[in-house]
Amino acid sequence: MSPLAICQALQDSAIGTSIRESVWVFPIIESVHVLALSLSVGIIIMLDLRLIGAGMRHTSISQIVDGLKPWYLTGFALMFASGALLFWSEAAKAYESGSFRFKMMFLLLAGINALIFEIRYKPTASVWDGKAHTPSGARVVGWCSIVFWIGVIAMGRWTAYGMR
Amino acid sequence: MTLLDVFTWIDHLWLGQAIRDSSWLFAFIEVFHLLGLTLLLGSIIVVNLRLLGFGSTRETLAHVAEDTMPWLWVGLLLTIPSGLCMFTAEALKCYENPPFFIKMGLLLLALIFTFTLHRRLTRADENSVSRIWRTLGACISLALWFGVGLAGRAIAFY
Repeated sequence: MSPLAICQALQDSAIGTSIRESVWVFPIIESVHVLALSLSVGIIIMLDLRLIGAGMRHTSISQIVDGLKPWYLTGFALMFASGALLFWSEAAKAYESGSFRFKMMFLLLAGINALIFEIRYKPTASVWDGKAHTPSGARVVGWCSIVFWIGVIAMGRWTAYGMR
Repeated sequence: MTLLDVFTWIDHLWLGQAIRDSSWLFAFIEVFHLLGLTLLLGSIIVVNLRLLGFGSTRETLAHVAEDTMPWLWVGLLLTIPSGLCMFTAEALKCYENPPFFIKMGLLLLALIFTFTLHRRLTRADENSVSRIWRTLGACISLALWFGVGLAGRAIAFY
């Protein structure tokens, strides 16, 4: 079974069809998907801005990560759950959409970038945290995160626009 | 001059026509609106979580408020001009769209609340304000701003 056939089967399934054709469910899921941007990317961008030295100067990196982790993880859980339901209802259309593929690529890059931060920089954060100047590698991670998430948001918008 | 006249005049401006004529300009402007929403609501969440006693609790409330405020401004600078552009392209559609008027009403309230009571609440010495007022202030702020976002999303679906 080709990926497209799987996506078509998903889209044609009872759940996929009922989400797509519902009056209320689709708009509600999409609203959750848009507003949860604030909890997920919104908080992560605050961390990135702190990493690149563009703001949040009173707050330490570990303070942002540790204090806000349950909140941005909740945000990302909401994003993935609502995104999966949206994909379910329009899987074949999304599979064939170029902007959706770019969005997934940016998402993967953002994920790898976050992993690099967790493994490479987070463990030593308490050492360089208080200083105004963050290690150059951590600054690069911050910049990459901002660029990748802008890519995800822009391509997400484009996906919905192209499939209308 | 009625409100309908004003909306009609805006709808016929060259800017709105240019956006309507383009196949991609509206979506392009909306990307900036969404980036602004992310920053604006992101900063609102961080400061209100702190007000509720969550998040960056090792930091003073005044510091968290001071740190997040510039990003609220950047969020407004991204959302308001992009929103105005989208409005010129859809002014007549908005005229018959209740969520649009709800959104504008909530936005006005959210802005007034943020720059008056909420500002005083986040800048005051934490121990001088009771927990009830801080909780109430955070809940009102979150409800107003998320109401703006939700009503905004509803404009397209109505």
